[in-house]
This record gives sequence, structure tokens and C-alpha cells, in this order.
Amino acid sequence: MKRILILILLCNVGLYAQTDWERWEAKEVSYQSNAAENHEHEYVSGGSGFILSALKGTYSFFISDLDGDNCPFSPTCSGFFIQSVQKTNIITGALMFADRFVRDSNLFKSRNQYKLVIHNHLYDPVENYLLKTESVKFNFEK
Amino acid sequence: MKNKIKYPIILYIALLFLISSVKGICQNNVSEINVLTLENRLMFGNYLYKEHDYLRAINEFHDYLRFENNDTIRFKAADCFHKMGRLDEAADNYKGLFFNSTLMSEARLAYIKSKFDERQFASFRNLVVQKTNFAEKYTHEIFRLKNITYLLDNTFLPERNEFIESFPQNYRTDIENFYNRKLHPEYKSPVYASILSAIIPGAGKIYTGNIGDGITSLLFTGVLSYLSYTNFDNDHKTRAWVFTGLAGYFYAGNIYGSAASAHIYNADVNFTYKSDLEQFLNSVNYFLPEFGFLK
Repeated sequence: MKRILILILLCNVGLYAQTDWERWEAKEVSYQSNAAENHEHEYVSGGSGFILSALKGTYSFFISDLDGDNCPFSPTCSGFFIQSVQKTNIITGALMFADRFVRDSNLFKSRNQYKLVIHNHLYDPVENYLLKTESVKFNFEK
Repeated sequence: MKNKIKYPIILYIALLFLISSVKGICQNNVSEINVLTLENRLMFGNYLYKEHDYLRAINEFHDYLRFENNDTIRFKAADCFHKMGRLDEAADNYKGLFFNSTLMSEARLAYIKSKFDERQFASFRNLVVQKTNFAEKYTHEIFRLKNITYLLDNTFLPERNEFIESFPQNYRTDIENFYNRKLHPEYKSPVYASILSAIIPGAGKIYTGNIGDGITSLLFTGVLSYLSYTNFDNDHKTRAWVFTGLAGYFYAGNIYGSAASAHIYNADVNFTYKSDLEQFLNSVNYFLPEFGFLK
């Protein structure tokens, strides 16, 4: 029984493994402006900042870096969480992250409300979720 | 034999003479032509202006104006600054035509437009009311510009009929449409969206038009709530509390997200209104006359 279970587990891993050849094939050069995440926001100072940065580092090292650049959004969900905590507080940031997590898991993939930026990432900045109509940004601005 | 050698030499010398003389004439002609005449500068400046190469057109116009006084060219130079968005320089150049010029009224109108383009609408309205550097010939156009500012900034709107009647008859329907959109924007209430999501998770998102996100929220919260219920029911306390915590977390996140979604919707309404209005106003040149001398 144990052997069968291990076999099923291994088969599952094989089935759901990332197909790397699609990701690393030759691609057209894009000259669009880069909406790369602002890494200076990814690490937060202070006590809670240390915990968050440690969490982010652990997540990046053990999951994100191995899994590859799979988040469809820019900034990525982890970056979004760090930025949202930095721009608001830990409770609001956590709520914003919960909302982002659900939107990322959208079963219908209806994502027409987002603008596309480089590498076909969906532009979804933290500023849009601060509950201020004036701070909403539709296009990438430096 | 001697002649056979002589003729080619004579021919060669004759050819050399001919070529050198032609070259000499050509050089003389080229050196005599001065391409940098005032007329050529003006023609080239006008060409650049038509091609929307305003930066280089200004240089040509300024070189021309060092020797000739021409109000049209002064106006064109100011217009180049205006079109490039260098509004302070444009205003200063228009001011040079305010007195003793045939284009006095046009320059004053263009000056007022440059002030309008600064987008400081409160100070612009003061400028119009105080009639500073006012062009009496274009009173209607200037007051119309003042009325347009009410559509563009966040102040109150003037009385409807008086406002709409200041615009030409054939554009009044469009203006009334923008007036209504400004007066009653089709906003979604963030509070209402939050309340809807508190009653039925995801309903607030559906209310703001994000149907997929709304249904996903409902499923997330629903499945986690169901798992917590069944685990409590089967006395798996630890797991039940974990699922309850997660359900509560996503439930709260969904309420927050619905309010944020309403704000994004409202920002989109504002953005669409402003871009539609700007597009319309540009298409009618802000109801200002197009000056023939600029063509």
C-alpha cells in the first residue's frame, strides 16, 4: 500500500511539474518599458519588517525561486504583500494580500481590468488598494 | 609620325583646359548662391512649422526676426513654444504682440489659451473675471473657455441652462451629456460594496463588475466555511479552527477588496470622463477659431 501511495505521489509530481522548455524557448525582444518590481520596497525596516523580510526570503529561497516566475501580476503576490504592509500596516496589508490571493486564483481568468506590462504581466500596484480613488494608477509610472 | 604624337597631346591639353574652366565656373556659381537668405530662412521655418518640428522652426523664425519685424512670424514663434508645452515662454512671446500689433486680439486670445493650458483653473478663472490682458473681440470664446474649466476641475458646476447656452447650438447635446456625467457620475459606493460582500461573500465584487473575482471569493469562503463546519461536526477541533481562521481571513479580505474594487471602478469612471472630454474638446479646438495666418 505504501509503495502504491509513493508511486501515485511521484506520478503527481511528474504530471504537475513545470514545463520548462516553454519558458526558456527563444522569444521576441521586447522594447516595452520595464515594470520590474521596486526591490527597495521588498524589505521592511523595524521588528515586523524583520519577520516579513525573513518570511519573504524563506519563501523566495524555498518556493518562488524553484517554482520560477509564475505570478501573473506585477508586483508579484509576495512583493505586493511586503509593499502593502509597508504602505499601510500589518492588518490592512494582510487583508490586501488575502484579496490579491483570491484575485490571483480567479477561476475564470477574467483579467480584463488589468493593463499588460512587460512579459505580459498584469499591472496591479498596491496604490490601487489603499481605498483612495485619487491614488489609483492605470498605467505604469516611475 | 610627329603629327601622330602631337594631336593626342594637343587634344589632352585642350580637354584639361575645358574641364578646369567648367569647374572654375561651377565653383564660382555655387559660391555666389547664398542659401541663408532671409526669405529662405522664412520658407524653411514655415516648412518646419508645418511638419510640427517646432523646436527647429523657432530657431529659423528667431534668425529671421533679428533682421525683419513681422507680427505673423512673432505669433508663429510664440505658437511653437505653446505647442511644445513651454507655456511660460509662449505667454512671454504672445505678450510682445499685445500693443501696436495687427494681431493684438489674436495674441491676447492665444495668451489666455496658454494660461488655460497651465491647468491652474482657479487662477485662470480669476484672470478671466478680472479681464487681465483681455481680448474684447473674443469675449465669447474666452468665457466659453472659463466654462470649460468647470467641466475639468473638481469645483461646482454653474447653472445648467446658462452654462449650456454659452456653447454653439450644434454642440449643446454633447456639452449637456458631459455636464450630466460630471454632475451625476456613475460611481459605485464602496460602503455598499462592502455591505454586499459582508452579506454574501463576493457580491460586492460582482456589484463593481468583477464577476469572476466575486464568484471565486464566494467559493473560497464557502469551501473554507464548509470545511470548518464539517471538522467541528466531526470533532476535529484543531483543523476546524485552522479552517475557521482561514475562512474568516478571506471573508475579511473579500470585504476590503470589494471596497477597493469600488474605488478602482470610480477612478475608471473619472478617467474615462476626462479622456472623453479632452478628446471632444481637442476635436473642436476648445471652440476657438483657427487662424488662417498659421496655416
